[in-house]
Amino acid sequence: MRADRVAIPAGVAATVAALAVLFYYPVGSVLAAAVYQGGRLTLAPLAEVLSDPFYVGVAHYLVTDPLGIPGGVAEWLAAGAPSVRLGLFGFTAYQAALSTVASVLLGLPGAYLLARFEFPGRRLLRSVTILPFVLPSIMVAVGFLAMFGRTGVFNDLLGPLGLGPVELVGTLEIVVLAHAFYNAPLVTRLVTTAWESVDRRQVETARTMGASPLRAFRDVVAPQLLPSLMTAALLTFVFTFMTFPIVLALGGLELATVEVWLYARVQDLDLAEAATLGTLETALSLGLTYAYLRYEAAQVQAGSAGESLGRAPLFDGWRSLDARRLGLLAYAAVALVVFVGPLASLVVESVTGPDGGFTLEYYAFLLEQQRGVAVGTVRPLPAVRNSLLFGAGTLLLALPMGVVVSVVATRGGRGSRAAEALLTAPLAVSGIVVGLGLLQTLVFGTELFGHRVVVTGAGAVIAAHAVAAYPFVSRNVTPALGGLDGRLVDAARSLGASRARALVDVELPLVAGALVAGAAFAFAISVGEFDSTVLLAEGVDSYTMPVALERYVGNRSLGPNLGPATAMGTVLLAVTAASFVVIDRVGGRWER
Amino acid sequence: MRRRTFLGRTGVGVAGLAGLAGCVGDGSDGEAGTATEGSTDTATEASTGTTTGTTAGPSGTLMVATYSSFTGEDTAGNWLKSAFESEYPDVTVEFATPENGVNQFVQRKQQGAPIDADLFVGLNTGELVRVDEQLDEELFAPAADGVEGSDRVKQDLWIDPDGRAIPYDTGYISLVYDEDEVDEPDTFDSLLEPAYEDALITQNAQHSDPGRAFLLWTIHEKGPDQYLDYWQGLVDNGVQIMDDWQPAYNAYTEGEAPMVVSYSTDQVYYHGEDVDVSRHQVGFINDQGYANPEAMARFVDSDQPALAERFMEFALTEEAQKEIAVRNVQFPAVEGVEPGGDFGEYALEPPEPVTYSYDELVGNVSGWIEQWARQVATN
Repeated sequence: MRADRVAIPAGVAATVAALAVLFYYPVGSVLAAAVYQGGRLTLAPLAEVLSDPFYVGVAHYLVTDPLGIPGGVAEWLAAGAPSVRLGLFGFTAYQAALSTVASVLLGLPGAYLLARFEFPGRRLLRSVTILPFVLPSIMVAVGFLAMFGRTGVFNDLLGPLGLGPVELVGTLEIVVLAHAFYNAPLVTRLVTTAWESVDRRQVETARTMGASPLRAFRDVVAPQLLPSLMTAALLTFVFTFMTFPIVLALGGLELATVEVWLYARVQDLDLAEAATLGTLETALSLGLTYAYLRYEAAQVQAGSAGESLGRAPLFDGWRSLDARRLGLLAYAAVALVVFVGPLASLVVESVTGPDGGFTLEYYAFLLEQQRGVAVGTVRPLPAVRNSLLFGAGTLLLALPMGVVVSVVATRGGRGSRAAEALLTAPLAVSGIVVGLGLLQTLVFGTELFGHRVVVTGAGAVIAAHAVAAYPFVSRNVTPALGGLDGRLVDAARSLGASRARALVDVELPLVAGALVAGAAFAFAISVGEFDSTVLLAEGVDSYTMPVALERYVGNRSLGPNLGPATAMGTVLLAVTAASFVVIDRVGGRWER
Repeated sequence: MRRRTFLGRTGVGVAGLAGLAGCVGDGSDGEAGTATEGSTDTATEASTGTTTGTTAGPSGTLMVATYSSFTGEDTAGNWLKSAFESEYPDVTVEFATPENGVNQFVQRKQQGAPIDADLFVGLNTGELVRVDEQLDEELFAPAADGVEGSDRVKQDLWIDPDGRAIPYDTGYISLVYDEDEVDEPDTFDSLLEPAYEDALITQNAQHSDPGRAFLLWTIHEKGPDQYLDYWQGLVDNGVQIMDDWQPAYNAYTEGEAPMVVSYSTDQVYYHGEDVDVSRHQVGFINDQGYANPEAMARFVDSDQPALAERFMEFALTEEAQKEIAVRNVQFPAVEGVEPGGDFGEYALEPPEPVTYSYDELVGNVSGWIEQWARQVATN
């Protein structure tokens, strides 16, 4: 069984090679412009950004006048500590922090509900929690306008209660809410998985030793949930730090983030300044990732995955309506407004004409496109097929890659945190930088031995999706793997199993829940991905559901409205919801 | 030229299938020949071919780079392709729709990557300025002299002093407003009045065509030294600056504000008995509209230069001009063309079109936009 013995090293090598070609080389080619100009290394562009109050606010004194800082702080305190200028970076971090708090507040009760209560449709609900993740921002903006706009459903609900109207569009509040819409499900998903893998016997032991339920939660359950909660918070912070379409579609330029600026610089082909902003952004998020990974490694406790906690029925007659359940009911009402509202509005928009009446015109439009033969016609069925194919291909690549990285991470030893941070880097780099890098290197091609090597087509799209997706697999699997009792592997190995066999036969079945959660994320990333798909897909005819949707936004044959795009968005919702249910159900068979 | 070869092969495949289906024609023979002989031969063939004869007309594949909504069912691009191909049976028109538009080709040129297209369709003045500021070499070739009909293009639409880019249509940026909510604003200054508080939605000039046009319009009227003050006034009066035309228009439709920066062709979409036209009034501030012409230009690296020029000529014919106007919902670029139909009836032209010329934008446009964005973003 030699193949068995080399499987893990070979997997590591393949992962690193894929990353080098599809990530480090393209991204490096962009970021190099920040420090390499006119043929030599320079720090000038970095210094320029860091000394510009527009970008860094009061922090520019760190570069422009470091010695004057103590005096400046004293003066500022003497003036009663008025609010200071945050600059673009400061404001971006501020809104990301608010968005993270909102996502955790909105996501955590959901995890509690899904992990601890039994009710009809629980598994379905658990499967589709990931749905917001795949929605293109323009659709979310449409849903949010219909839900929270001046004349939206939310104000219609508030009216009879004698409240409102609230005007949210254009404010920081609606941006934060939209970010919570995207990221709270991430919190729910990650924490639910962790909660479900808490060993019931540990809790029972604590209880028999006299701990109150609250105490048992605090001492046994909470420490096991914390790493997943921190993962979710970190990911949310990094994502919302790099946000851009939502800010512009719902908030406007006044709430501009670093990424808005980066995108504008790219469009103006000022690539040096774009690269500088990208470098600073990447350094910040990589630093955060590294700090988090160190924390996570310190948190993971040895234990073996045993039986999961039992779930209480959510409804058990009126008498069961205690404070906990009333709280959950209130939460359900909030979730209905924030999550179901915008999605339902999207579906409603797809069957509502400009005059407000019912229409099937937009679905007829989709059918007509399907029959279309003209060059450049975006047909819905190939879009669905491509999305599913790319999603399945991404799963095949991202699952092994993610597991390999998790094995590297849990092996421990010197530098394994740094190695993990570098292997997790695709999470920390802005989509614009990755897209631009892919364009300049793989799409344009590189001269190699006198030939121009160009990478395009379905294979390249899948590879790019897998690179973006595998960190989610490892972020799910690593904590679970690290939590396993090391003696299980030792026992398997002493009985003659290779490391790879021990992984496949012993460890992975024990962390199946986390693996399925990771698979769902990988699939979601692939289905929702837009930037690199557009750049890498060859010609006008390979497109995915989000690309089709974007093209329908630009198609004005039915007038300047989003009807066709909302119809495609509804198709996207239906197809992906069905896929997630399948992933959860098929994966679920591993669980017991 | 790998891509061209690939497309050629695809052409053979299609021709082969057509042969099997029993509909062999002259066209398929020509295509197969092109594919096997390679593109260099085709180029010579096309440039030596005459334009009048149909028997010895140009042949080969013309790769047209454009924006994605120019292609597809019922679009101007698809009409042009079909009509051009029936005029020249040995020619195939293919479309490339790079997501980042003309930047794609600027970057290709900068990196020494091949330019796999012959013609770019959908260029505006600001983009042409950016192309020239970014590149030392020429990306586009002078064409106006070789393209019949270009002398009939309206004088004030010419965006290129070097005659490379030839306008084929134009839009006029204007306001669209709800007359039940607000009166039509007469001047830019009136937009600063309390009557228009929180009333206007516009787009981000950094990446939206109408948003950029509206910004340039205000600079045109207020002057490069005054426009930032004017915009501070607009911001203080509650102007909303959204990502692009679609989110902005959508917010307008949802009643977020009674005015939006849009196009003067709005009523082409919204007219008739069951439409409330009061929601779709077109407002020309100062009786002006900002013209945003769209132009086409041939790549220097094209290996089908003659064919590219035939295509541009074709787009300027009266028939094509009418079809482009109606299907793209933009005004014709050629003098004396009347599209008729709904378009002729409902598309409104501003009494006084204004625009910035190429020379006025060179060296200024990037700076103007960045100053503007910094001003708004620090609020």
